[in-house]
Amino acid sequence: MASRRLLLELKSVAKSFGATRVLDNVDLAVEDGEFITILGPSGSGKTTILRMIGGFTTPSSGEILLDGKDISALPINRRPFNTVFQDYALFPHMTVAGNVGYGLQIRGTPKAEIRKRVGDALGLVHLGQFAERYPAQLSGGQRQRVALARAIICQPRLILLDEPLAALDVELRKQMQLFLKGIQREIKTTFLFVTHDQEEAISMADRICVMNDGRIQQIGSPLDVYYRPQTEFVARFFGDNNLISGQLGTATGDARVLNTGFGGLVCAVDGQPDVAAAPGGSNAYAVIRPESIQLGISGVDLDDCENRIEATITAVEFSGATTLVRTQPQGSGPLGSELRGLETELRVKLPSRADGTALPVGARVALGWRRIDSRLVPV
Amino acid sequence: MKTRIAGLEVNQIGRTPWPLTLLAYGLPTFFILIPLLSFLTYSFFWVKGTELHSSFQDLTFLNYVRIFTDQIYLPVLWRTTVLCLEVAVLAVCFGYPVAYFLASLQGRKKYMFLMLLLVPLLMSYVIKIYAIRSILGGNGFLNRFLMASGLIDQPLTFFVFNLQAVLLALTVLLIPFAVLPIFLSLEKLPRNLLEASADLGASELQTFLRVVLPMSLPGVIAAASFVFVLAIGDFLTPQMVGGNSGFTFGRIIYSQFGTAYNWPFGSALSVLLCAVVIIAIVVGSRFGNKRGLA
Repeated sequence: MASRRLLLELKSVAKSFGATRVLDNVDLAVEDGEFITILGPSGSGKTTILRMIGGFTTPSSGEILLDGKDISALPINRRPFNTVFQDYALFPHMTVAGNVGYGLQIRGTPKAEIRKRVGDALGLVHLGQFAERYPAQLSGGQRQRVALARAIICQPRLILLDEPLAALDVELRKQMQLFLKGIQREIKTTFLFVTHDQEEAISMADRICVMNDGRIQQIGSPLDVYYRPQTEFVARFFGDNNLISGQLGTATGDARVLNTGFGGLVCAVDGQPDVAAAPGGSNAYAVIRPESIQLGISGVDLDDCENRIEATITAVEFSGATTLVRTQPQGSGPLGSELRGLETELRVKLPSRADGTALPVGARVALGWRRIDSRLVPV
Repeated sequence: MKTRIAGLEVNQIGRTPWPLTLLAYGLPTFFILIPLLSFLTYSFFWVKGTELHSSFQDLTFLNYVRIFTDQIYLPVLWRTTVLCLEVAVLAVCFGYPVAYFLASLQGRKKYMFLMLLLVPLLMSYVIKIYAIRSILGGNGFLNRFLMASGLIDQPLTFFVFNLQAVLLALTVLLIPFAVLPIFLSLEKLPRNLLEASADLGASELQTFLRVVLPMSLPGVIAAASFVFVLAIGDFLTPQMVGGNSGFTFGRIIYSQFGTAYNWPFGSALSVLLCAVVIIAIVVGSRFGNKRGLA
């Protein structure tokens, strides 16, 4: 995966509608054959990126390069990309086969070949027996697959997917996520997938590009953005992270100390040269995932934890597979104001057990986490 | 349980209050169904001399026998039907580009032009016909224009007092009725279908032919049957621009109620026309409700 060929490149692309800037100098490289997800809340500019690549919107400035050539001026129908639209945009007056074969018909492909390729594409999405139905006679998930078959049949260089699963219910979504990923592995076409759903992004993508406010926050593997956030936004976007504020202290190799109300916390800074080199005393957050914190109860030793805090359990919330333990760190009088999120608490997520109530509220416990489980992000 | 917001029931479990139900069924019954039925009844009465025989003991099929045996009525009905089909086709052909233009406009402009289009509908029908007559007539604008441009040296009489004149006048008068349904069907067309078509490689023309046109077809059919029904029921326009050779079925009916004073026979002719209109509407709605386009 390391040495893939570059397919598409966005170079300082910006877009403004009137006085509103929806994209601010975005640089993005898409590699050939990868599954890249653009993730962000609504209004973050993710759909605008997709629409500019597809040719539905023109950038206000910057370049879009395909194989190194600028395609910003190329009209929609001349770009070798196909799109799966959010509400599928199937042609209601054509059968499933008519929809799927549309792109080939337009290109003047011979009838026999169209029939064969439509059959193949429908087989790929398991809709072989629905060829003569109309879109109105299909369920949401089936329409979704028709839209996918229609997009892949012309063998585009890149398939753009604009929140294609947003309209499906949870169960079907999960199925479709696996299905899409499977298809992508099978046909090896590059997928650019836009979504606002973190779980969806993490479970499907090779790489995730997190967007906020028209800017790219971080590009990396799902593990990267999940465990090694580089901005406060990314840290907060992926679930229930604990953020502890403090001032940067001494740096030692790929670690750096953050001085907080709990004393110095040792955090990993590998891959973050900016933070490693930032002047001492500047403000930063330590980010610790709730499931990375260990509870020093019987049978657990915190020997490998560089960071340890004494805390009191304030609540235990059972939620199926995991149990959330809310704790109040000791001596958090002066520290309280420095803990963001739910003010003064540290959240710990544990795998649930049948005797889950073994954690008594009010008990004092030791909390510990390893250096590599805490990252630093600038304030 | 009934919940009301702004006086309207929100959850549809309760029933509509009975006075509303009565109005909803009563008004059409009283003002449409009963008059039509009275026409149907009248068509079985008969006239002798100037005396109307309207007894239910003494009904007759003679009026219908006369329509189907006489050499005049069916040919005129046929010619009128063909004429009105031509009007419908012409009105749709002229109306489509107008509707397309309107639908392609943005925001306020769109509704301004739509209003402009509707202004003629507010004018008196008779005035419009006079206006058209003065354009088409021997000394009218059209002839003067053609003479000034050197295309002809004698005013043409081709444009007035014949069936062509009726055709032209009806088309001009009814175009707004063709524009509206087509405009609405174009407005309803989801814009992302156009994007999808372009995304799959279609040029603008291909998108128009394969997506826009077929999807606006229900609107086109609605427009055509609308225009056809209005045209075939019109007797005033043929009367005023048709002259002696521009004789239509509507004028025959009119003459039966007017000069001939034979209401039963006029009613029988009306029933026949009504049947043609109903067929037109049924055929139109059949085409309009093609599968997948509801």
